[in-house]
Amino acid sequence: MKKENIVELKNVSVSFDGEKILDSLDLSIKNKEFITLLGPSGCGKTTTLRIIAGFLDQDEGDVFFEGNLLNGVPAYKRQINTIFQRYALFPHLNVYENVAFGLRVKKMPENEIKEKVTEMLSLVNLSGFEKRSIDTLSGGQQQRVAIARAIANHPKVLLLDEPLAALDLKLRKDMQKELKRIQQQLSITFVFVTHDQEEALTMSDRVVVMDNGRIQQIGTPQDIYNEPQNAFVADFIGESNIVDGVMLKDCLVEFSGHKFECLDKGFEENEAVDVVVRPEDVDIVDVKSGMLKGVVTSVSFLGVHYEIIVDIGGFKWMIQTTDERFVGDKVGLFIEPDAIHIMKKSEYSGLYGDYSSYSEEMDHLSDIIEEE
Amino acid sequence: MKWLSKLYVCLIIFFLYAPVAVMVLFSFNSAESVWVFEGFSLDWYKSLLFDATMLNALKHTLIIAVLSAIISTVLGTAAAVGIEALKNRIAKKAVMTVTNIPMMNADIVTGISLMLLFVFIGKLIGLHESLGFFTVLIAHITFNLPYVILSVLPKLKQTDSHLPEAALDLGCTPIQAFFKVVLPSISTGIATGMIMAFTLSLDDFVISYFTCGHYQTLPIVIYNMTKKTVTPDTYALSTLIFASVFLLLVLYNALQTKAEKRRG
Repeated sequence: MKKENIVELKNVSVSFDGEKILDSLDLSIKNKEFITLLGPSGCGKTTTLRIIAGFLDQDEGDVFFEGNLLNGVPAYKRQINTIFQRYALFPHLNVYENVAFGLRVKKMPENEIKEKVTEMLSLVNLSGFEKRSIDTLSGGQQQRVAIARAIANHPKVLLLDEPLAALDLKLRKDMQKELKRIQQQLSITFVFVTHDQEEALTMSDRVVVMDNGRIQQIGTPQDIYNEPQNAFVADFIGESNIVDGVMLKDCLVEFSGHKFECLDKGFEENEAVDVVVRPEDVDIVDVKSGMLKGVVTSVSFLGVHYEIIVDIGGFKWMIQTTDERFVGDKVGLFIEPDAIHIMKKSEYSGLYGDYSSYSEEMDHLSDIIEEE
Repeated sequence: MKWLSKLYVCLIIFFLYAPVAVMVLFSFNSAESVWVFEGFSLDWYKSLLFDATMLNALKHTLIIAVLSAIISTVLGTAAAVGIEALKNRIAKKAVMTVTNIPMMNADIVTGISLMLLFVFIGKLIGLHESLGFFTVLIAHITFNLPYVILSVLPKLKQTDSHLPEAALDLGCTPIQAFFKVVLPSISTGIATGMIMAFTLSLDDFVISYFTCGHYQTLPIVIYNMTKKTVTPDTYALSTLIFASVFLLLVLYNALQTKAEKRRG
């Protein structure tokens, strides 16, 4: 047990109705870090959070807090507080009493409570809202009350269960900065759960990508984006073209009928691999100087850049570029060695990374389904 | 068409309240006549005040109504919390059906079966007189329970399931969490359930008739009076009962509107 870890999950498994929700999960959370559990709905991220909070007991495995076994310790005895998705503010109490709730349970003297509540409300920019009733507050304000209520108890770890999901985009961006500021100001460990990859990348020190009750990858946002470990991670974080390739030897990979120089080593000769190329790392050039050749099948203008789909031998590549092209244009693609990332084959190989069924509408639809 | 619908509503209200209005009117009649109103007087109310049987029955009724309302509210709330916490849907349905049966059942059947049970148990433990205060109280609690459960359950369903969790999270034991967070958010349901129970108990006749023995409640005393001759002091008494039930219903509705406003 390393001292820097405040929470550790060892070999934790949970099943509901015979369905495995968490499958031998190992996770170490460092003291004072901002760590994000990221994944699609049903991946087990909220279940992990509920186990740390003590709302749910694992079927197998151990949970440690500061090196002490936490198994079976009820939620109210843990120095951990939670911010719930719909805030779960107490509707019969006003803002002041909501924030004071945990302190009253601890039987703190009245003058100290007053001091603490005032301090917390000013921390979340809600000074002067003490007497307001909860249902007169906007979503963003309720969110702030929930934060104040949780951190008033001086938790060592704060768990946040998709706290920004109910806010509109603009407010969400503001709250992201706000949460980050609060975390740094109080230096508390934050464990944040979200299905929004952008949120995860902008806020976290480390990101834990989860799917099917298993951790797919843990790393800094840069690691996760630049060095995805499998097709699932590559597809879930940002956009990516994932093609089948063969590693001919160190630093040389063949895919789409062309040999490319790359920077990856340590694979066996002629090992089948998944190759990831990010859409912003592909240059569109004229047909003659292109390494790959294809036809533009779709162009959409997104403001900062164009999103162009190019058909290369039946596989559709997504390319982001500031140069305008038109549907039907024959183009060449140029890929630098450092734009290529090689991954070992996994259970996710072949499932992601082809844009042949891609459309804006589909993307939008899948977002809606996720939010439900 | 608009005036037609208005007329229709007026007619309904007229037919509903005409009997009560006539009764109230004649309770203030100075003569004993049921067809001639001879002048305003409070004599019948006065004579009520000095009627020992009547006052005694009123005392019985109030004691039973208050006690049965309180006990059935406590039991019913606990039952509702338990039912809501049931994870197995079939079990939940089954329990709900069982609790609803006393409500659907004909009063006379409930009354007779309770009487049989009480007499049977009374004989079993060798009581000389098995029916009385406790049996009528138990009977009233029995028929009040489903009404309390039915008014508390929806409130529990509306309560955010994360609320008790949030309370636990902030350091409450599960029992503290229930009293500090869950109870306040279902309080209007509990209050309306209690008022329902009280009014139901207040005017119950059939079940009380079979289970009260010598502990006679007001409706039974009135019934016995009417077997001889109907005197206007019965009207006075009925007017008083009507007025109190009416007040309670207004209170009940006010509570519900308040609860809805808070939600809306």
